[in-house]
Amino acid sequence: MSPATKKVSANIKNEKALKIFCDIRKCVACKTCELACAVEHSKDKELLKAIKETPLPKKRRHVSDSFGKTLSVGCQHCKEAACVAACMSGALYKDKDGTTKQDKDKCVGCWMCIMVCPFGAIDRRIEEHVAVKCDLCPDRDDYACVAACPTGALFAGTIDEFEKRIREKR
Amino acid sequence: MHYVIIGGSAAGISAVEGIRETDKKSKITLIGDEKVSLYSRCLLSYLLAGTINEGNLYFKKKDFFKINNVDALLGARAQQVDLKNRIITTSDKKRIEFDKVLIATGARSKILEIPGIDNKGVSALRNIKDADEIKAMLKKTRTAVVLGGGLIGLRAAYALNNKGIIVKVAVKSPQILSQILDKTAAGLIQAKVEQKGIEIMKGLEAKEILGKDAVKGILLDNGKKLECELVIIGKGVEPNVELAKQAGIDVGAGIAAGEYLQTSAKDIFTAGDVAQTKDIASGEASLNAIWPSAVEQGKIAGRNMAGGKEKYDGSMAMNSIEFFGLSVISMGITRPKAQGYEELSAIDEKRAVYKKIVLKEGVIKGFISVGKIENSGVYNTLIKHGIDVGEIKDILLDEKFDYAKAMPLIKKNKEKFDKEEFRDSVITY
Repeated sequence: MSPATKKVSANIKNEKALKIFCDIRKCVACKTCELACAVEHSKDKELLKAIKETPLPKKRRHVSDSFGKTLSVGCQHCKEAACVAACMSGALYKDKDGTTKQDKDKCVGCWMCIMVCPFGAIDRRIEEHVAVKCDLCPDRDDYACVAACPTGALFAGTIDEFEKRIREKR
Repeated sequence: MHYVIIGGSAAGISAVEGIRETDKKSKITLIGDEKVSLYSRCLLSYLLAGTINEGNLYFKKKDFFKINNVDALLGARAQQVDLKNRIITTSDKKRIEFDKVLIATGARSKILEIPGIDNKGVSALRNIKDADEIKAMLKKTRTAVVLGGGLIGLRAAYALNNKGIIVKVAVKSPQILSQILDKTAAGLIQAKVEQKGIEIMKGLEAKEILGKDAVKGILLDNGKKLECELVIIGKGVEPNVELAKQAGIDVGAGIAAGEYLQTSAKDIFTAGDVAQTKDIASGEASLNAIWPSAVEQGKIAGRNMAGGKEKYDGSMAMNSIEFFGLSVISMGITRPKAQGYEELSAIDEKRAVYKKIVLKEGVIKGFISVGKIENSGVYNTLIKHGIDVGEIKDILLDEKFDYAKAMPLIKKNKEKFDKEEFRDSVITY
């Protein structure tokens, strides 16, 4: 494990914290989450090495403009995941903990998941011809994007915890 | 409680999961006419192309039936559903008493009624047996003719081309993929497949398959003969409604499914390619024989069989395919024939990038994307929820259109987006 993976942020994964939410009012479009995500999914998990990799590591979050506001969005791990129903190869599946996982070896690159994902959270990795999406950082104790977010816009937890936080700070 | 599921593909398997979410104990019997179950028929063309091996053909783990405590009767056909005595009889003379039934008998390849159709070397590509037959023919095949320019026909053509076989596709319509694409999108795909050596012959039909026993060639309706050793029939599918019809269950184009995926007969449900459900885009009862619908319907039907009361929102025609790296996604009404539709489109021919949006009264009803297919699901969601997109109409064709751009509409229509995954958008936007 590299030093980065040992870092533990305030958003430690536990049984409850399996989803990542974005408080759109705090997102400033800095794209730090995108970068942290790509680095976390590189071979060496270090920025300086990651940018020299071929193919380049791919981010699984998207920071995008929404009429003057900005949003960082990734896989929402939907309860009734349209991507899982559409996945004809059985590569995408719901794990026991409710998260949406992918068995990359089974993916044939039919892009049925891209056809149905409401959030546009699934991309094509052309080089390997497989779909890529948020895998909830299996090599870390926390989430790279949440840990890296400098404004606290990204939050890991349950939707109720997220809602409570928003209401309290309002 | 004894559940009987007739059909061992996507819908039937998904129904097992739907039932087992709440009912872990009751007996489930699954009758499947194919000896092999748990495989994905959509992957057969990939198997044929050699891009996956046989082991990756399965969409569920091999011990699925054991884990879910299912008595799987494979290689047997349900021959009669006796509604009065509540008994199903099978081709191997079993009599199975039932409490609840799911009819998920699927669909079969349409057959062409022309001379020579029974020759050796003529096959559809619907089940494992078909794929095995075609695979066994490959060594002897120099040229293959595919009849039909639909999805299966072209996927088969792609697979055979990948195997180094000369492939010619005879298409009745003036364009390929006429069920799902408009002329422009079809043109881009055609250019791509032709560039890779697949010959597309439009406006032509087969009149006769030549050869005494084995295929020697094909005679087209323009009088032209083509030599070939293999003929693939890709003329679409038709639902296996006979079992339901015989039982006296309401059948239209498929088995008529109610909003809980129940049939006209008490305790009998239906799902998958055989089921006729409400089409979300058109509002009409339709057959949308596609994998995602089969899985969703099977799941909901299973839950309702186990005592649930879950409504099915409806199905929608949608497909995603790729030929030689050129991707295309299509959904809903892509070629409106009636009045009152508005079409927006943008094309970049050089990059083979195309997007088309079909609207009716401000609501998206259809969508095509060629080349840059990312974010297609955002349009899918807008269609499914019937959202008036009037205020963002001018940016719908942008390549950068994504979920963030749809957020104001998600917020505005928050009563429709009541699922948990949309809640953070609704709360914070």
